[in-house]
Amino acid sequence: MPKRTDIKRILVIGSGPIVIGQACEFDYSGAQACKVLKEDGFEVILVNSNPATIMTDPGLADRTYVEPITAEFIERVIKKEHPDALLPTLGGQTGLNAAVELAKDGTLDKYGVEMIGCDLAAIERGEDRKLFNEAMAEIGLEVARSGYAYSVEDAEAIAERVSYPCVLRPSFTLGGAGGGIAHTHEELVSIVSQGLELSPAHEVLVEESIEGWKEIEMEVMRDVAGNGVIVCSIENLDPMGVHTGDSITVAPCQTLNDYELQRLRDYSIAILERVGVACGGSNVQFAVNPEDGRVIVIEMNPRVSRSSALASKATGFPIAKMAALLSVGYTLDEIQNDITHSTPACFEPSIDYCVVKVPRFAFEKFKGASDRLSTRMKAVGEVMAIGSTFEEAMQKAMRSLEQGHAGLGADGNDDFDEESFAEKVSEPTPGRILYVAEALRRGWTVDELFAATKIDQWFLHRIADIVTAEKRIRELGLSGLDADHMLAAKQMGFSDVQLAHLTGQREDTVRAVREVLGVRPLVKTVDTCAGEFASRTSYHYFTYERGGASEFHEAQKPRAIILSAGPNRIGQGIEFDYCCCHAAYALEAKGYETVMVNCNPETVSTDYDTSDRLYFEPLTFEDVMNIIEVERPEGVIVTLGGQTPINLAKRLKAAGVPIMGTQPEAIDLAEDRDRFAALLDKLEIAYPPSSTAETVDEAKSVARRVGYPLLVRPSYVLGGRGMGIVYDDADLVKYMAEATKVSPDHPVYLDAFLEDAIELDVDALCDGDECYVGAVLEHIEECGIHSGDSACCFPPFSLSDSIVAKIRETTRRLALSCHIRGLLNVQYAVRDEQVFVIELNPRASRTVPFSSKATGVSLAKYAVRIMSGEKIADLGLPAEDADRGYYAVKEAVMPWSRFPGADVTLGPEMKSTGEVMGLDVTFPKAYAKTREAIDYDVPQSGTVFLSVCDRDKRSVAPVALSLLHLGYKLVATGGTAKTLKAAGIPCEVVKRISEGSPNVADMLAEGKISFMINTPHGHSSRGDGAILRSEAVSRGIDMATTMSGAVALVQAISALREGPLDVYALQDLPQAR
Amino acid sequence: MANNHTAGTAARTFAPSELCQRMLAKTSKGTCGPCILYLEDGTIFYGRACGAEGTATGEVCFNTSLEGYFEVMTDPSYAGQIVTMTYPQIGNYGIDETDVQSVFPGDAARPASAPAMRGMIVRDMCATPSNWRSAVSVPEYLRAHGIVAIEGVDTRALVRHLRDNGSKMGIISTEIFDVDELAERLAAAPTLVGENLVKTVSCPEPHEFAAADLPATHDFALAEAAPARHKVVAYDCGVKRGILEGLVRAGCDLTVVPWDTPASEVLDMNPDGVFLSNGPGDPDAVVETYEQVQQLIGKVPVFGICLGHQMISLACGAQMEKLKFGHRGGNQPVMNLVSRRVEITAQNHGFGLLFPSLGKLIPELSGGETEHAADGDLRTWVRRGIAPVVMNERFGRIRLTHVNLNDGTAEGIQLLDAPCFSVQYHPEASPGPTDAHYLFTAFTRLMDGEENYLDIDTAKDRLAGWNFAETAATETEEN
Repeated sequence: MPKRTDIKRILVIGSGPIVIGQACEFDYSGAQACKVLKEDGFEVILVNSNPATIMTDPGLADRTYVEPITAEFIERVIKKEHPDALLPTLGGQTGLNAAVELAKDGTLDKYGVEMIGCDLAAIERGEDRKLFNEAMAEIGLEVARSGYAYSVEDAEAIAERVSYPCVLRPSFTLGGAGGGIAHTHEELVSIVSQGLELSPAHEVLVEESIEGWKEIEMEVMRDVAGNGVIVCSIENLDPMGVHTGDSITVAPCQTLNDYELQRLRDYSIAILERVGVACGGSNVQFAVNPEDGRVIVIEMNPRVSRSSALASKATGFPIAKMAALLSVGYTLDEIQNDITHSTPACFEPSIDYCVVKVPRFAFEKFKGASDRLSTRMKAVGEVMAIGSTFEEAMQKAMRSLEQGHAGLGADGNDDFDEESFAEKVSEPTPGRILYVAEALRRGWTVDELFAATKIDQWFLHRIADIVTAEKRIRELGLSGLDADHMLAAKQMGFSDVQLAHLTGQREDTVRAVREVLGVRPLVKTVDTCAGEFASRTSYHYFTYERGGASEFHEAQKPRAIILSAGPNRIGQGIEFDYCCCHAAYALEAKGYETVMVNCNPETVSTDYDTSDRLYFEPLTFEDVMNIIEVERPEGVIVTLGGQTPINLAKRLKAAGVPIMGTQPEAIDLAEDRDRFAALLDKLEIAYPPSSTAETVDEAKSVARRVGYPLLVRPSYVLGGRGMGIVYDDADLVKYMAEATKVSPDHPVYLDAFLEDAIELDVDALCDGDECYVGAVLEHIEECGIHSGDSACCFPPFSLSDSIVAKIRETTRRLALSCHIRGLLNVQYAVRDEQVFVIELNPRASRTVPFSSKATGVSLAKYAVRIMSGEKIADLGLPAEDADRGYYAVKEAVMPWSRFPGADVTLGPEMKSTGEVMGLDVTFPKAYAKTREAIDYDVPQSGTVFLSVCDRDKRSVAPVALSLLHLGYKLVATGGTAKTLKAAGIPCEVVKRISEGSPNVADMLAEGKISFMINTPHGHSSRGDGAILRSEAVSRGIDMATTMSGAVALVQAISALREGPLDVYALQDLPQAR
Repeated sequence: MANNHTAGTAARTFAPSELCQRMLAKTSKGTCGPCILYLEDGTIFYGRACGAEGTATGEVCFNTSLEGYFEVMTDPSYAGQIVTMTYPQIGNYGIDETDVQSVFPGDAARPASAPAMRGMIVRDMCATPSNWRSAVSVPEYLRAHGIVAIEGVDTRALVRHLRDNGSKMGIISTEIFDVDELAERLAAAPTLVGENLVKTVSCPEPHEFAAADLPATHDFALAEAAPARHKVVAYDCGVKRGILEGLVRAGCDLTVVPWDTPASEVLDMNPDGVFLSNGPGDPDAVVETYEQVQQLIGKVPVFGICLGHQMISLACGAQMEKLKFGHRGGNQPVMNLVSRRVEITAQNHGFGLLFPSLGKLIPELSGGETEHAADGDLRTWVRRGIAPVVMNERFGRIRLTHVNLNDGTAEGIQLLDAPCFSVQYHPEASPGPTDAHYLFTAFTRLMDGEENYLDIDTAKDRLAGWNFAETAATETEEN
């Protein structure tokens, strides 16, 4: 069936901010959809609140609305744009939920919008466990024995029936949030009561446990003609019990024979048909009993998912792009295979390599939270690696993680918990795979390990081979590795760093010996067909093979390599992928053959059509040099991929690699505190008094000199890792004890902490002669909150023009003095009209996409043009101080609910996973939109709880007064109440938790509090406050934890009272281009 | 392609001395000797032996199935061939010998159910498999059956070489490393073209095959056989067990007869239908079979798969072509021109029917078209949504029912004036997707005399062959 002609305008819903369980894989899928639909002649209208995405770039859709993904706002967009159809299946759970709401409340019918790709009934059958189980029963498929609980008592009764351990899954939550496995009655009660709260349907599924079974995923595509194909099978290395997003997964499936796999294939397609997925991509998860092959259907997602992104990257089959085309009427046989350009898309990819995905976690950011993995996803990112064998791909994936591992251990970075070694082997945690390898090193047998972990013996045998080879390499030494042995070692995936460690040599020496022996990796191609047909797409990986059959081909044009950002982590996320994609677009326009390097399967940068060539490789020195040696680029871009490529810059330069734009020397200057301070002194620019210390005593003497509070941090860190504010000697001693673990080779920095200062982020361009300040962003939270976690506003809403002018001028002087060529980001603090420089980053910052969308000036693109030789004067940029006539606010999204036990406060260490943008004509309206976008339901009436630290007592009265005028009732703890009463503001006094019952926690539990304002100060109110805040998080109660945040929140509430907020398309804004 | 060619010559300098034994001997691979693969064009690959000791020659072909290596290894259609698996790690889930595809009853030269392929080429062979059904590892099996196999080969480079330069004869050896001697031995080996390999894999005597012959080990996954309603005679040209099982499960009792059984003998058995099996090699060499087919068509319902399809085509007087490198794998898209649905199919053939050679187009049944497309690409019918019909001199109207979407070759025909149809691909899969299982049902419908016997809803048929849970979870409804 050909393309539908009755549809002209299509509304695409994105997935909103990056959260755990819904990350940038939906930027990949949404961007693909927008691109292909536009190319095919449709008008695309996009709603997505996430400014960091490529998807929300004004060029990708015809009409881009960076607005909250709520039924209310989408309806306003529909009213304005009159789309013919709504495509909800590419924006993850958020997009799907919004579409369901619009369909159910009649909005779609009202405006004559057709849902394409999936209908309401199918979504409900796929998402609602009960309907799904019924559907499975109808076609004779088995699901786990289970029952639905609407109360703890229900759950107890069902648990009796299915017996412990049992799995608990709240309905309709993201990434399985609120779920878990209960081994005891106590655990059951705790998980179920939380799950009932989290589930919009107040429903929790209690299910028989199939822990330890094999977990298999099938990625399915189906078209309206009824053609179904399996794009990829994926086997989880971690057996059932660990969320698939938290599991190490392998593609294709390794340990099922043909009968078992073909059966799952047919089941998958039949499930799609029964659920009623008319067309598009879906994934189906199965549990397979390793002892008798019994199959249980776990779940299916009637939409593109995280696994679809992985399957797309693993096979070269662009699932999202295909799903978009199928939704507008095409059938699979009518679409061409993008890679071969000669065969149709209606086929099942055959791959001739092994793919391993390893999740990346961030437990170190959430002290107090358990790092045990369960059915509730906690990973913040992932890497994928391609190798000829599982062994090679596994080791590559481990070094792609950028967590200090050069492979599966054996790299001098092993650090095992000796006391609970056996437990660490058997318990699924982020580091378990390293314990498994170490257990084999220590003589555990495969059988023993299988008994402890239930990881399939096949995987264990492969790891055992790696460990055995490792031992032999150690014995042979570097001189014992002839060409043949070196090749065998590389085929097992050993990195030069590992070989160096095992043979007691330096990495350079290993590389040199390898060169002499002629053992080099070969370029191979991901082509969907295992080499059966010629392919035209340059999607490559490296592997080691006997012989010299490289698939590298020369290009006519000069090549430029873009080093991207690796796995998403807190502090380095999709923003850098956005920058790298822009680099590819800009360089292509400049006539370069663009070469992208990255190992993150969730991203747009790893789409094979973003750049001319894609290398899916780890971003380590060895792997990057392999690419550089083959491609011999004219330049390498290191300043757009966050800290990952920055960390490589110096070594690459030393190896003679041409670096484009800002040189490593400038990077060094900015990151070396002493040299940078000297530069600031020379330029007579103020900065907070600071010093360094290597010992506790030194630190104490600094404290006496500079004075408390102090901002302390280790050198060379990302996202404020290991950063803290200390208020006294005791804090300092405690910090120093912990800090030594973070970065042993570097000293600790101690900066005077500017309390109550206003913080600013500045993104600017510099070409060596001239500097263009793209955006000055004013933070809403005061100094001390990591810039990544702070809300900010463009243009500044409280600063005078003269201060902003001064900041621009300072930025200009700094940029020129540091010899920046490209992007730079400077953070400032302003206190009492005095401007302090906090830090300078000579690279793209986290705020570049936001700044670009807020100002309409695509900073990353211009940065690349500068790097390739253009001058700012010739770029035709708008005036720096042009009045745009609107405000753009960015707000961070926190993952608190995923980490029960961790304290819910903002601080100098970044903890947010994503961000949203609100755009409107006033600051309060724009800020209100960010609250809506994050799904904080601000109650329009009710009781507000206030409890602020002493520092904030002065400023609490105006906030309370405003709340009172807005019609809220107030309750406050003793101290705060006293302040309010003194100001003549009536409020009820409530006890702190430590003061006994009935107290504020009881009020929270009884649902009597609508939202709360609770500001912590140092450690003084940690105990009580921490309990309250985590209570609020688990109950979904909105709160402000800073005074400035509270002020903004009150302003936002007032703005919302004035009537519905309008929606704005980026294309309509003055500077958009 | 030059750089692939150098894969061989460059490899000479890598001539394995001890093949990293010092590193690998203690791993699951253990100690294994060197092995060499030499192609007729001089390309050389070195690797390690991972099967039996010895030397083997054959046509080097490749299969792109991601799993199902044992079914491939024991497929009689691979007689005379050295099979390269494109998926790099082979043997992961071991072998359950009841999955064997060969039904060869055994003779003096070859034991029962022995693999027919001559050799095997893989990137990485697994000696420590894992699966509850596995009884033996692939290297153990290969050694037990005397099949020479090589691992450590850049199989992707080899496949690209074959793709660009066409199929090649090759020799693998664990004992001869002298290139000139290998070349001599290879030159002396017979090529596939014109050779009748069918007689080497067909059963020598007729035998019965019925529900009792279905392996109990498949009960966990496969549905029970339908009650036997039809008596079918199956010509064994090297039949795959999966086909016999597919027919039995659809309700047929089979008499399996040798490849050259006279038509009169078959008709004397008074069967409800005749089945023509798959088989190895050049169809033109299997004269004795297609001559019988010519006498069977029109007298009894006939269904052919793969070589059987070619036999029917040849019986109609059609011409065959040798494909550049054949279709071998489990992911080939085939358009069913009748249902307009795509079937993802398992394929294994190096020769194919030239559809235009069956006869002139009948314009009124072919969308008004009078001439066959000059380039022979049948995808033009796919695009136009027409199942064209030709007038065949011997058997009247013949319809093109299936077309390969990758290269536009013929995949299935249906005789409109005689009860006979055939497909080039493998509905039994084994290994591969089972989208085309419905064809076994279609055959029983043909024998039942149904007019539109090919008109089957594949979505309904999809789950028919599988075994389902005895107790689907109904308890959920209690709450």
